[in-house]
Amino acid sequence: MGFQTDAVHAGQKPEPLSGAITIPIYQTSTYHQEELGKHKGYEYGRTHNPTREAMEKNIATLEKGKYGIAYSSGLSSVQALMGLLKQGDHVVISNNVYGGTYRQLELNMTNYGLSFSWVDTSDLKNIEDAIKENTKMVFIETPTNPMLNLTDIKGTVEIAKKNNLISVVDNTFMSPYFQNPLILGADVVLHSTTKYINGHCDVVGGILITNNEKIHERLRYLQNAIGAVPSPFDCWLTLRSTKTLALRMKQHNENAIKIAEYLESQSYAERVIYPGLKSHPQHELAKKQMTGFGGMISVDFGTFEKAKKVLNRVKIFALAESLGGVESLICHPASMTHAAVPKEEREKIGITDSLVRFSVGIEDAEDLIADIELALK
Amino acid sequence: MSDKTTATKNKIDDSKYSMETHVIYGKHVTDKWDYSHHVTAPISSSTTFRLDSVERGAQGFQQFAQTEKFGDEAPIFIYDRLGEPNKDMLEENLAYIEKGEMAVTFASGMGAISAVLGVLTKSGDEIITHSTLYGCTISLFNNWYPRYNIPVHPIDLTDPNNFFKVVNDRTRVVYLESPANPNLDILNLTEIKKIVDDINKTRVESDHIKIVVDNTFATPFCQRPIELGADFVVHSLTKGIGGFGTDMGGVVVGPKKFRDMILLYRKDFGAVLNTKSAWAILTYGLPTLPLRQKQQIKSAMRIAEFLEAHPKIYFVNYPGLSSYKYHELAKKQMIDFNGNFAPGSMIYFTIKGDTAAERKSIGAKFMDYVADHAYTMTLAVSLGHTRTLIEHPASMTHSVVPPDQLEERGIDAGGVRIAIGLENTDDILMDLDEALKQL
Repeated sequence: MGFQTDAVHAGQKPEPLSGAITIPIYQTSTYHQEELGKHKGYEYGRTHNPTREAMEKNIATLEKGKYGIAYSSGLSSVQALMGLLKQGDHVVISNNVYGGTYRQLELNMTNYGLSFSWVDTSDLKNIEDAIKENTKMVFIETPTNPMLNLTDIKGTVEIAKKNNLISVVDNTFMSPYFQNPLILGADVVLHSTTKYINGHCDVVGGILITNNEKIHERLRYLQNAIGAVPSPFDCWLTLRSTKTLALRMKQHNENAIKIAEYLESQSYAERVIYPGLKSHPQHELAKKQMTGFGGMISVDFGTFEKAKKVLNRVKIFALAESLGGVESLICHPASMTHAAVPKEEREKIGITDSLVRFSVGIEDAEDLIADIELALK
Repeated sequence: MSDKTTATKNKIDDSKYSMETHVIYGKHVTDKWDYSHHVTAPISSSTTFRLDSVERGAQGFQQFAQTEKFGDEAPIFIYDRLGEPNKDMLEENLAYIEKGEMAVTFASGMGAISAVLGVLTKSGDEIITHSTLYGCTISLFNNWYPRYNIPVHPIDLTDPNNFFKVVNDRTRVVYLESPANPNLDILNLTEIKKIVDDINKTRVESDHIKIVVDNTFATPFCQRPIELGADFVVHSLTKGIGGFGTDMGGVVVGPKKFRDMILLYRKDFGAVLNTKSAWAILTYGLPTLPLRQKQQIKSAMRIAEFLEAHPKIYFVNYPGLSSYKYHELAKKQMIDFNGNFAPGSMIYFTIKGDTAAERKSIGAKFMDYVADHAYTMTLAVSLGHTRTLIEHPASMTHSVVPPDQLEERGIDAGGVRIAIGLENTDDILMDLDEALKQL
């Protein structure tokens, strides 16, 4: 089936009782058991929920995976993922991941005996060099947030296979519409569904997708054991959203290309970072492993004053954290999304005080360009 | 609204932005409620509102539906049925997108239709309609209007001159759908407007004939009837505007001076839109309307062409086909926000058969096969959904019409109505081809 057909139908057989075309919100914490030990496979709301199952199946299909395991946020998916490891294990991870991932892993998970090597994974050699005897996982985010550095997924997977490591790709920025890491061999794909997958800034959620039966079993166990499960209503809203994922991504992509090209043609910006631009150092890799370039653009305006001017003066772009919604958002990574990363670390990877991140929405591109133009004047 | 950010945002001149941007932001910052810091509006699910003092409560009741006297800025919210933030915000956006001065929402499309007609007519008045209409609208006219002593005259308005055959001093409303449900008749709205204007010139204002158009099939993305001369537009928000098939709703859009009466009608008859549904339509229905419509039109065009070329098909009605008898008229009336021809997402067709009965039985066979075997088509009423929905008007949406009256209502006994969804077009074509092969 085509992506759009799967998006509308996968996991969503009409409800058998009434024939409801839209999967109901099964807002129930528990299920009736016909007799001791006899039930319909649904026991308790944390363990099973039909709305959640439909949503998991739907997103798994779009990611070309067999299993989807949903959590109440992107970060609780990261937590579940760490449940695949045990005390003493080591992870090689991109040094430029989402700030919240860094905070959870480096500032908290280290208390439980896990250790992390934060390396620039855009150079595969750095991954190989960081692998130690106790390394069990390699975790990459591509493109990264907010620097939009790419990591070669296929190359990473090869290294992981050779060293018997679990390979994980955070695919939040591309969504399953533009990139499918499982096809490239990755073991697990992670999404903050809050972003493009849900797309309407009205749900916080996360999901892990895998084809590996053993990993699935363990993650499913952890979903129930840890308990960070999404609410039935949030699952239902997310299921509503995937139906327009392809349409939205096409528009995000089209708008972002126009805006990135516009910004690059002007003298306001010191550097425009967007994988769809020929000037992006990994443009060729982007074309190889992605089928579009997404809706995220980062721009270094050279000085904090200039960045501040843009951030405060745009009118359509709302100054807010998060990304991937139908409405355009703008943020200042150094003081907002990545404030948890120490200044020194931040600047090393390029998150300067003059960097501005644009999450381009689905509005009319001309309006968005006019908005930026006016702010810069 | 004293906040500094709000003040700056209020300075935005929203008139210079395009409609695609507008459906996302509406008025950007609204005086209906200070939602200026939520990027997404909260679901304002509250049946009643704190009134602070008896004096303010009295003021609220006094001001309700009295915009002539008190203006309509910053209402005092009293009770959900009278008005509340989510609905009010949605109403602002719907009025804007339909190019009307005001909008009032209802619990369903039928709630909206009965309200606008309830406000525009009283016993002794008469209504003229086009012969082809949605089945439940026909049901409203047949079952209830005789009780009110309001005669309703269905006539073929594809020739606007037929109007003169039934118009009289008591005519107050002409009620239309274009494209009509289910056969997609297109009515010449400017021509009808001209006729009505000429008659209205000879009347006092209170006796004017009003044109009411149900724009559900086209959605405001494809057509804005008020621009073409309609006085009022009604919608079932359940369809293309809601777009996901998750919520019911209706709306009346029209001139500001009728807002008070329509609000009063809603308050007293009570078909009020649920706040959670208003939120859904505001948050994800309207903002994605242009994207969804563009995709559905693209698919509908290919599917209509496929059906037209298929040897087993008797006829296909789709405004986008150059062979369609109303194609030229549709090209003038159905224009999207950017000026492109936008023929909509609905197709009506009939499979070959010598008699009406034969067409009906072969149509039923086709739809039953679809119901059992097609992944991308669901046998279900409704339209404007993410999923492609297929149905048999004569036995479903229009079952109110007796078999011997189908023809005069423009409905073929074997007619099939298909509402295109968001699936991959090739997948829908594959399922259609497969189902037609079985015949």
